[in-house]
Amino acid sequence: MNLSQLESARALALGEGKYYNTILPGVLPIITSAVTNSDLEIQRWGADFLAEAFAAPTWSSHDKESVSLSVLPILKDLLEVKDTGVIKSSIQASASIYPLVYRHIIFHPNDTQHWQIMLAVKSNILRRMDSAPPGVRICCVKFVQQIILAQTPGMVADPRRPEQNDISLALVPRDHALIPYANLEAEASGLLDRLLDIIHGDHSDALLVTATLNSLGMLIQRRPVVANKVLASVLNFNPLKLANSPMTPRNKVVMRSMERTTRALLINVIKRNPEGAFNGRIQQYLERMHRMRLDVFDEANRKRPAPAEPTDGLDPAKRQRVGANASITPASIPRLPPGPVSYRQLYTIDADSNTANFDVQAFKDPEQLLKIVLLVLRSIDETKLGNAINIVRSRYLDLSKDSIRTALPVQPTYPVSVDDEEEYEPDFEPDFEPEDAEQLTNRLDGAPPENIVRDRVPEASLAPYRLPEAPPLTREEAYNYGDMTVRRLLGLISATEEVASKAKGTKNGFNRLAANTYDRDAWVTILSRLATRARGGLLDANQLIKSEYHDAKKGRQSLSDTIREAIYTYIMYDWRKRIDVAVNWLTEEWYNDRIQADATRLDARESVNGTTVDELNPNSHYKRCVLRVLDGIVPFVEGSDKGLLRLMSEIPELDKEILQRMKKMAEDPERIDLSIMVLQYIYMFKPPARKICIQVLEEMWYTNDRAKPKAKKLLVKWKPEVLETRDDVKMEHTSSNGNMEAQSV
Amino acid sequence: MEAHLQLALANLPTISFGTGSLVRLPGPTIHQPNVYHFNSTTYSAIHSELATQNTPLYTQNGLLNMLGRNLTIKSYPERFQDWVPGKPRLEHAGDQGAKGTESGVVDVVITCEERCFDAVLDDLHNKGGKLNRPVHVFNVDIKDNHEEALVGGKAILDLALSLNEAAGRARDEAGDGGRAWDQGNREGFDEKVPDILAEWQERWPNMPALWSLAWF
Repeated sequence: MNLSQLESARALALGEGKYYNTILPGVLPIITSAVTNSDLEIQRWGADFLAEAFAAPTWSSHDKESVSLSVLPILKDLLEVKDTGVIKSSIQASASIYPLVYRHIIFHPNDTQHWQIMLAVKSNILRRMDSAPPGVRICCVKFVQQIILAQTPGMVADPRRPEQNDISLALVPRDHALIPYANLEAEASGLLDRLLDIIHGDHSDALLVTATLNSLGMLIQRRPVVANKVLASVLNFNPLKLANSPMTPRNKVVMRSMERTTRALLINVIKRNPEGAFNGRIQQYLERMHRMRLDVFDEANRKRPAPAEPTDGLDPAKRQRVGANASITPASIPRLPPGPVSYRQLYTIDADSNTANFDVQAFKDPEQLLKIVLLVLRSIDETKLGNAINIVRSRYLDLSKDSIRTALPVQPTYPVSVDDEEEYEPDFEPDFEPEDAEQLTNRLDGAPPENIVRDRVPEASLAPYRLPEAPPLTREEAYNYGDMTVRRLLGLISATEEVASKAKGTKNGFNRLAANTYDRDAWVTILSRLATRARGGLLDANQLIKSEYHDAKKGRQSLSDTIREAIYTYIMYDWRKRIDVAVNWLTEEWYNDRIQADATRLDARESVNGTTVDELNPNSHYKRCVLRVLDGIVPFVEGSDKGLLRLMSEIPELDKEILQRMKKMAEDPERIDLSIMVLQYIYMFKPPARKICIQVLEEMWYTNDRAKPKAKKLLVKWKPEVLETRDDVKMEHTSSNGNMEAQSV
Repeated sequence: MEAHLQLALANLPTISFGTGSLVRLPGPTIHQPNVYHFNSTTYSAIHSELATQNTPLYTQNGLLNMLGRNLTIKSYPERFQDWVPGKPRLEHAGDQGAKGTESGVVDVVITCEERCFDAVLDDLHNKGGKLNRPVHVFNVDIKDNHEEALVGGKAILDLALSLNEAAGRARDEAGDGGRAWDQGNREGFDEKVPDILAEWQERWPNMPALWSLAWF
């Protein structure tokens, strides 16, 4: 079979990887006969083909493993051929085959025959490692790398599926008959040392050194157990050791290449493991190498380079004066057009440049823009920037002067010299002369400041700014924010409490506006109206109560009740001083109830045939709140507290249940006087409540013996018949009580 | 691509790649480059798109001319990092210089910028050297413009021919029935590479070179 036939067989396998399974067994005898006949061309082709086949990514590793055993004898023979090319390819093929045979042996501990051939191949290759020509040695390096990979423990991804795992020592059972674990491990360790010795050996052999460095990356990556050792060794490697030998072109390129190869390896290590323990040391190493490289290679350039300052405007005949101020060429600064200008025109110095016409919105990705802007900022020449700022400053000052002149045309006292505006001052300095500044501020003071801005607002093409839309509130959040607002409002009331002057103007009753002033009363009004009227008209009275009931059941209160609760707490906190707040609030409650009731009555009249509500709705908020406030206050009321009297007299409506709280209070002997006084006061000044007052007093008279004498005094005037009918019956109690009362008074 | 063309015209098996994340070509302004995906956008698609976009501009800056050249060289730009060495390239038979690259491996990689050199070495570390096959990676620093590309292409061709010649000689010398081997002359091609590069560097002093023996 000639070469072209073999080539067509190869082409077939290249087209479809699985054909290797059939082609290889067919080709092997041809290679074997070529070895016996010393047909170098076929031998070379054969070795290359074996290397290519066992490296092919299109041929599955499983198939390779089964074919690999049959290839071992021919590999052994090829390694004896006296041709560098054949040997190189054979070693490459062996490097690919070694892990496959190794795995086969792990699972077939009795296959001594194949393992013996593999060992023969292995020792043949290892023998060459020190003595062979460099081109062969690099292939030995790769073969050794494969042995180390196979014979050091790797990471086991899944112990139940050994075929999925990386071929490593971790697959080898401790008691393997053919390949003892400890021996493999020791051999790998020894081989690794040999590899690392290469990079610390003769550096003139850059081929071997870079080949080794480039094969170490894989070991660091896949064998954590040896990674530290390898890295430590690499970090002690000095690729620039040759710097002491003559700087031949070869040495130069070799040193640069070794340095660069080391750098690529270490940067790859950092990239793969950004949190690696060695990264700090690697960084240091890279920096050190960088400096050393500059030292070694830039020697020729270190003859004091000329300073890289701009030489424009400097006299070329003279020595370069580095510190000299290069004057700015005034011609290059375009004048602003007359009349109003936009901010853009004000800040644009070179209107023709690409940058001025460039729309940053073209960048969809802000990150990218940021990167560019950072780079640009870093590269800005400071003097140029300073000049640009000065240009804009002078333009701005000119504009300010113009606007002042237009604003104050009759002021001829400031002769603005023509030179000032026509010519740009090259030596313009930020700290201009003090008189100028003073004059300027004077003129600015004279001008309405808005003018300067207003003139330019129409030209300024600012996009309308929109706040980003807030996410919709959940019900829960809405309640929480509501609560917070109410609490803040009360905080405001407390804060204004002290300031609020007691001098009050005329009272406007319900017609007063809630927010005409910002004192405590205004806020109290707002709050109580919020509590009472916020939901007014949205629901009828009954529904209102129901819905609140529902809310309460759900574990939270309606806004109104939250506010009511807050006001109540606020009053109770210092009720003596806050009786007016209570009255204010309760009045609002009463008013609202009234309005609601009227509305309901109207509706009712329209719909049903006249069920009129003539009395205070027993479920009304007003009554509920009054009772709540009373029940809150009464326990703390002292006999001399006139606050209660005020409260009772000022709340807009009373009924029996409310007044019965007075009867209750009278059960405390110390407060009998007060409760009698309240009743008396209401009787006198609130005629509509007289009837209820008498009823309550009558009850008090019947039930409370200690209050009897006081009640009697009033009853004599208000309802003497009560005393007449019951007098006899109660006489005994009176006498016994009379003693007690005498004691207590 | 200029180098690809010159190498292919010299009958050297050639594949060309980019190392960036995307194919970036000049656009209407320096801030608006035309960007395409590797491995999928064909040169003819790019050519026709740019021609419709602004024919005068891209004719004037030589882009259309360059793309016209490229689409005769190969059908679409490929990315080095996406390349699987050893994967047969039979479907690239139409590309110039495809003959000899069918098995999907090369003996030499030449980059034209230091960062590409770094990217190639880094990527080869990532690929893990599964083929156990050595590859010489070179860098020849060339400025990326039409004129420099022309000169750089010549320099790369010079390097490639020098290497090819040395490899051929080594092969022939070893093929004398083992006599040279027995005389102790077993030197192969690989060990000559640093010397070849050093000589080349003398001829092309303005293109600082780098080199490394890496693994596919």
